[in-house]
This record gives sequence, structure tokens and C-alpha cells, in this order.
Amino acid sequence: MSEEIKHFDLVILGHGAAAFSAGIKASELSSGEMSIAMIGTGPLGGTCVNVGCVPSKYLLEASHRVFRPKHPKMEGIYETNVVHDFSAVMKGLRSYVKQARESKYVDVMRSYENVALYEGLARFTDRKTVEISDPKGKKIGKVSGSNILIATGSRPSIPNIDGLNDAGFLTSDTIWGIDELPSSIAIVGGGAIGLEIGQALLHFGSSVTVIEALDSLLPQTEPEIGSAIRALLEKEGMKFYMKARVSSVHKSSKNKIVEVITHKGRERVEVDEILVATGRLPNTDTLNLDAAGIKTDPRGQVLTERSMKTTSPGIYAAGDCVSKRLFLETLAAREGVIAVSNMFGEDLRIDYDSSTWAVFTYPQIAGVGMTENEFSRKNGSCSCRTFPLSNLTKASIIGETEGLIKITVDPKDNRVVGMHIMAPNATDIITEGAYAVQNGYKINDIIATSHIFPSMSEGIKNAAQSFIRDLSMMSCCME
Amino acid sequence: MEEKKVKLRIYGMTCDDCVRTISSSLKKQPGVLDVKISLQEGTGEVKIEPAGLSPEGILKNQVFSKGSHYKATLVE
Ligand SMILES: Cc1cc2nc3c(=O)[nH]c(=O)nc-3n(C[C@H](O)[C@H](O)[C@H](O)COP(=O)(O)OP(=O)(O)OC[C@H]3O[C@@H](n4cnc5c(N)ncnc54)[C@H](O)[C@@H]3O)c2cc1C
Repeated sequence: MSEEIKHFDLVILGHGAAAFSAGIKASELSSGEMSIAMIGTGPLGGTCVNVGCVPSKYLLEASHRVFRPKHPKMEGIYETNVVHDFSAVMKGLRSYVKQARESKYVDVMRSYENVALYEGLARFTDRKTVEISDPKGKKIGKVSGSNILIATGSRPSIPNIDGLNDAGFLTSDTIWGIDELPSSIAIVGGGAIGLEIGQALLHFGSSVTVIEALDSLLPQTEPEIGSAIRALLEKEGMKFYMKARVSSVHKSSKNKIVEVITHKGRERVEVDEILVATGRLPNTDTLNLDAAGIKTDPRGQVLTERSMKTTSPGIYAAGDCVSKRLFLETLAAREGVIAVSNMFGEDLRIDYDSSTWAVFTYPQIAGVGMTENEFSRKNGSCSCRTFPLSNLTKASIIGETEGLIKITVDPKDNRVVGMHIMAPNATDIITEGAYAVQNGYKINDIIATSHIFPSMSEGIKNAAQSFIRDLSMMSCCME
Repeated sequence: MEEKKVKLRIYGMTCDDCVRTISSSLKKQPGVLDVKISLQEGTGEVKIEPAGLSPEGILKNQVFSKGSHYKATLVE
């Protein structure tokens, strides 16, 4: 290895969503003059395009197209069996991921001559210098940066379960490589990733069992939504062990046996495959952050201010490696832009309070701002209304009435502080909630805004109206 | 009086006029004592009075503001 240290205006650790948005923003602000080193391991684009958002949404969409014609919801429309080939779907998924990676990352990077890509693992040697090594640990080179951005993301965390490694298991990193649908699967962890992949496999015909440590699903949302999605998934055939823990796993001649401990005692779940979806760990353990004076929280996530500055001057962090509550591609990209803009002297801050998040089950779940419990814990009291989709004309026409819209307001001034939705297109209509929370809109602002009839978005207006009147006494399209 | 030298990387300079524009704008900023700019290297050295101006404060100078095609970052 040459001991020469190559200097850059900006060194970015990682080459995922946060890294790309930061690199592109820095190039735009400097009119392509800023010299940037981008160091990363694995396929370009990181988690989202390769093993995260993109393949999971592809699989879910494909699975719904198989499942929904088999379960029509309108009178006179009969069950249709969709002819499909799971292995061809998976081939299509991988080819889509490859094409998305090429067009959105590889080709894009070619147009930035100021960015030098380094394939390897980065590690700080001091506050300004980063050493790069190949996957075998062989040192490749050293770079230094006037500014540094840590954007190394996260990876699936694997719990220490007796026998798990010997029995073998899938994670959200590896499941995209399968060609055969597991006839049955145990999913350890009932969070967003477990439920999304679980419902996709269920819709293709797998028998799915979810083992969840908490007593409710999706604690980030309203409890009504957690219960409603569980009831719906159970109706579709998903089995749940709640408040349960996997004590051990072993292999039988054909299958994998998962030993589950619940409040009722021990149970054995025999499955074809296991998916571990018990959360993610930040990729910060090998960065030697101490050498650069960077502090982390107890989970190893980098502590930052809302300006994305770390505890070390000139070093910023963005994306899933940051200490925060929501881990999303959209936030990673925004944090990358904020970090870089602040390197150029701006005063931007990340706004987590009006960030939208989603779970892409069918129906989808999406939220923004605080839940009823969060607001009242913080402020002592709150006001909220829940509007069931069974009351919404569009939902009842199409028979998609399993869902709800819940709005929480500050009782002092009726400002919307949170909106949580379970609806077929919750990920689209939640944006209205984001506008409301971000701009401090009040219930009356939503009511006074034109909404199409009949539409799912009208449900948000109805939910707002239920603060001022009893909806059972209200006619259609009443203002 | 305490003095501090701050090194800048300056982007968007193409000619001596750019150097003059940036220098004169920086020199007018309260807390700036002296400015040296290298067009060739795309860098600047600004002597400041730390009690009156922080290094990051230099980046907020009008000449680097939104809409201007001159931009700067700090070099430590
Ligand atoms: C199954 C799944 C589904 C998801 N679905 C969604 C969704 O629908 N919508 C959404 O908004 N978000 C979704 N997410 C979350 C989203 O993918 C992440 O929030 C986002 O990709 C994080 O981007 P990042 O740039 O922080 O990290 P990453 O994209 O993980 O990039 C980090 C990169 O750094 C590399 N790296 C690690 N250590 C080092 C090192 N020492 N040196 C150099 N490089 C290193 C990694 O290999 C990786 O390439 C999903 C995640 C998963 C797992």
C-alpha cells in the first residue's frame, strides 16, 4: 500500500442513499468543483435499491397481483386464479433491482467527474484521515478530507439464538436470492420489514408465522392500527405469537423447528424456512470512531445535532447510522443534503416531527407526527378522532373498508400534531398529514380545503369533520 | 487583539475579477482583518478576529449566499 494520503474537499464513508444525495448536492453547490471521495462496500446504492425499499416493494406488488383477484370484494366479481411462476417473479425482481441500480446510481455517478469511487471498507485513523481496506482486510489506500460525512448505513441484527446459525436462516439481505417459495416460514420479528415480507410470501401462498416480542404490532403507530392490521393479517391466514421469544432452533430431516416461549409455555413451530427480521444495527463498529472523537449512543448510532454535525468538528453523519427514531430512505437523503448544505455555511436542520413513514402491507399503513399517546404523555392532554373507512363512500364502493384514519390535535388551538392512516393508498394520502403537521394547519384548514368525492383522501376531511360534528348525522359531501 | 487564520476552499472562481469580488466582500465583513485568495488553488486565507467572527460566519458572507455562484467550505 502506498503511504501517500490523497486529499479531498469531502470524503464520504458509504455509497448508499445518504451518500449519493450528499455527493450530488455537494457537486451542485460547488458547480462540480468539489473533489469528493466516496468509499463503500457491496453494490453501489446500498440498502434501499439493492436489498431494501426496491425489492421489497416489487415483491409486495407482485404478491398483491396474485392474491387480490383470488379475493374479490365487489358483488358479481368472481375469484380468479392468477397463473404465476414464483421463480420467474424473483428473476424479474432481481433484474429490476439491477436496472434500478444501473440507472439511478451507476450511470448517475458517471456524470460526476469530481467524485472518485473507492471500493472498500473505511476506517478513521484520525479526525481528518480515513484508511481504506478490501474485504479481506488488505489496506488499499488512505484519504483525507476537509469535511467528512459518515453514511455507512445499517445491517440486519441477528439475535443470539441457540442453533440458529446451524439451521440456517434468511434476512432482508439474502431473501431476494431465493427462487423457490418456502412452503412455510417463521418470521422472527413483527416490525415493518417482517410484516411486509411476511404478507408478500403469504399472498404467494406460503404459510407464515410471525414471532414478536412485544404484545402489539407496530408500536410507532396508533394501537387501533396495530390491532386492525393484525386482525386483517390473521384473517388472511398469518399466525402470530405475540409477547413471544424464540429460545432455540434446530433442524429435523426436512424442516426447521423453532422453539417459541410464550406466556402459555413452550411451543414448536415446524417450518421450511426462517426469516430473521429483528431490527438493524448501525455499521459503525469497525469505523474506529474514537480516533476521530465521534460519540455514539449505546446502540452504536452516531450522535448528531439536527444540523447533522457529529461531536467532532468538520465531521457530519447522515442516514441509518445516525441516532434517531425513523430509518427511511427519504430521511437518509434529506440528512445527506442538510449535512452538505451546512458544510457550505447554511443553517439547515432536519425536521423529524413532520417526516412521514410507511409500512407497505395491503392495506398500507402510514403516519406523520405524534400518536395520541405520545402527545398526551408530553402535554398532559390531547384531542383526537378516529374515522373508520367503513364510513367512507369510496372505501365502501370498492369493499376496502378495513382501515381507519386517526388525527390528533393540540386541544389549545386545534393544530394537527399527528395523523395515522391504514388504507389501501395510505402512503399517498399521508402527504396531506405531512403538510398539516409541518405548517401547523388546523382542523378547519383541512375541512375548508377541497377534497374529491368519492376518494380515499376525502376520508381525511371526514376525520377532520368528526372533531366538529357527529358524522352519522352528516349527509354526503357536507362542508 | 487575538487573530486567527481560517483557510477556505472557494468554488466558482474563473478570473481575477472573481478574486476581487470575493476579496472586497470579505474585507467588508465585520471581524475580517485580512484576505488572501488564490485563483489557481481555489483557496482563500482569511484573518479574523475570533471574538467578532467565527470561521463558519465567513461562509455566511453575502458573496457566498444562495443565488451567488461563489461557494466556500472550511479547510482545517
Ligand atoms: C427490507 C427493507 C425495506 C425498506 N423499505 C423502505 C421503504 O419502503 N421506504 C423507505 O423510505 N425506507 C425503506 N427502508 C430503509 C432504507 O432502505 C434505509 O433507510 C436507507 O437505505 C438508508 O440509507 P443509508 O445511505 O443510510 O445506508 P445504506 O443504503 O445502507 O448505505 C450504506 C453503505 O455503506 C456501506 N458501508 C458500511 N460500512 C462501511 C465502511 N466501514 N466503509 C465503507 N462503506 C461502508 C454499506 O455496505 C452500504 O453500501 C427499507 C429497509 C429495508 C432493509
